[in-house]
Amino acid sequence: MAEHRPDRNEDRHEFSEEQASLFRITFGPLIWALHFLACYGLVAVACAKGADIAMVRILLLLGSVVALGGIGWVGYGAFRQWNVVETGDFVHRRGHAEDRHHFLGHAAFLLSIISAIGVIFVSLPLVMIGGCQ
Amino acid sequence: MLAGAVVLWLFVNGAFYFMSRIRPGRFDQTYAPHILIGGGIILPVVILSALLVWGLGILTDPRRPGDGLVVRVTGEQWWWRVEYWPEGATEPIISANEIRLPAGQRAEIHLTSDKVIHSFWIPALGGKMDMFPGRDTMISLAPEKVGTYRGQCAEFCGASHAWMAFSAVVMEPEAFDSWLEAEAEDAVEPAGDAALRGRQVFLSEGCGACHAVRGTEAVGQVGPDLTHVGSRQTLGAGRMALTLEDLTTWISHSEALKPEVKMPAYDLAPDRLDDLARYLEGLK
Ligand code: HEC
Ligand SMILES: [Cu+2]
Repeated sequence: MAEHRPDRNEDRHEFSEEQASLFRITFGPLIWALHFLACYGLVAVACAKGADIAMVRILLLLGSVVALGGIGWVGYGAFRQWNVVETGDFVHRRGHAEDRHHFLGHAAFLLSIISAIGVIFVSLPLVMIGGCQ
Repeated sequence: MLAGAVVLWLFVNGAFYFMSRIRPGRFDQTYAPHILIGGGIILPVVILSALLVWGLGILTDPRRPGDGLVVRVTGEQWWWRVEYWPEGATEPIISANEIRLPAGQRAEIHLTSDKVIHSFWIPALGGKMDMFPGRDTMISLAPEKVGTYRGQCAEFCGASHAWMAFSAVVMEPEAFDSWLEAEAEDAVEPAGDAALRGRQVFLSEGCGACHAVRGTEAVGQVGPDLTHVGSRQTLGAGRMALTLEDLTTWISHSEALKPEVKMPAYDLAPDRLDDLARYLEGLK
């Protein structure tokens, strides 16, 4: 869409692209949710069944690293999409397609920060308690 | 914790004072994002993270293994079934509605419940721990100072939940040992005619169907063990004092004193009631 010829399908194209990044803003929280589920589920089952909690702990801590990596990757992509370095735009005041695009990147970026904090908080008991007491 | 609360209080009120007295009027818009992001996001994240790490650090403390003594407490409606398992014991020493602990030692309190969820809490000695039917939980307590502390059920469990309390008595270790030895004994013989008649009333009125008095034919398990009820500090799980007067009131008005209690109120002739109370009070 470089030359911006009027095109009946232009809006629809742009919208379908936004649909993709609308999904993308959920990826950070989604990773957080999966990590949360894995931690609580596995620890509960392991403690109830008397399984080897040390192994589960190592496994989940590896999972935390992977989750943080994933969130970092999502966050980086979102940061690029927001493109604040070039535009300096924090507010997205105008309703153009490009603004929407940047806004979704901005939102996804912030969500991945909070997801990373969530993953770290959920992992802390694994580090500090580490047993079934 | 207090220091944190003081700092927070000073900060909030200081900010209010600043806004209303020192610099009333509108603020420059350019500060807003900094205040929002700094004070609304970064500061809370830092404070909450620090508190979380600190909290997790002390979380394992109440689950530390004890020094030997295990006390099993079962939450009933609305009283506490208590068993002492000293180190190496093969059978428990049964008691109720009071918990005694030796000072300077860490005791494990193993908790469970008969029907509904209760929560075991002695605020002066430690945090609360829930009691679940069919599940065991544990909290270990290491009281330091000799004294009597109030314990309370801290999870709503029905009509008389608020009356479900107990005393936690912390004793010198030697005193505790001799108390526990005495607690393991059967009930003492009634001293005096009134108490002897009282035992007769107790057995003939059918109290033994619900209550055990070890050494007599009363072996009921529905209500608290009364073998040494006279040595407790409170009556009816913290409901009243352990005096002759309160004993007669309890027996004749149990249902009014504790709504929905399983023990029926007894309409006894005054002299029989008095004998009964004397008997129970003598069960040291
Ligand atoms: C149907 C069962 C039942 C019968 C019969 C019964 N009780 Fe009770 N009793 C209980 C229950 C349950 C409690 C605990 C109530 C509570 O504190 O919530 C109790 C509590 C008590 C207490 C307080 C115990 C403590 O640790 O503070 C005394 C004393 C007592 N009963 C005496 C008697 C006497 C005396 C009789 C006979 C006249 C009697 N009970 C008959 C069920 C019964
Ligand atoms: Cu209760």
